[in-house]
Amino acid sequence: MKLLKHIFGELFRKGRRPMLRAGETAPDFDLLDHLGRRVRLGELRGRRVVLWFYPKADTPG
Amino acid sequence: MLGISCDSVEENRAFAEKFGFEFPLLCDTTRATSIAYKALDHAEESYPRRFTYVISPEGRIETAIDTQDPAAQAGELLKRL
Repeated sequence: MKLLKHIFGELFRKGRRPMLRAGETAPDFDLLDHLGRRVRLGELRGRRVVLWFYPKADTPG
Repeated sequence: MLGISCDSVEENRAFAEKFGFEFPLLCDTTRATSIAYKALDHAEESYPRRFTYVISPEGRIETAIDTQDPAAQAGELLKRL
């Protein structure tokens, strides 16, 4: 019972949303950047990549 | 470092110029990448969440950070890198 409570508490903790987990394969992407250049994750192999999602251009952060 | 949102090339170009970002801002106009990375639940959702992922040189997720606070997001990231 205590364990169940803990599990549900973790699942529904405020603001906690599912994300990809450490160790999972990063989904490939093939997108244009702000200068119209093509960027593919596959081409960045061998380099560590920080992928920063933001809600909307020109909002704080 | 790659930024990513569902904005158009033009919107992101204006954003990058305004703040002088020196890294690419990716334009996920189909929303497929945001959904694949769970920043969006579905294509009709308005805006992706403030998620940051560190991807290893081998192409695996190394670190996943979820925060609504941009300053905290940067701080968290620096701590973990």
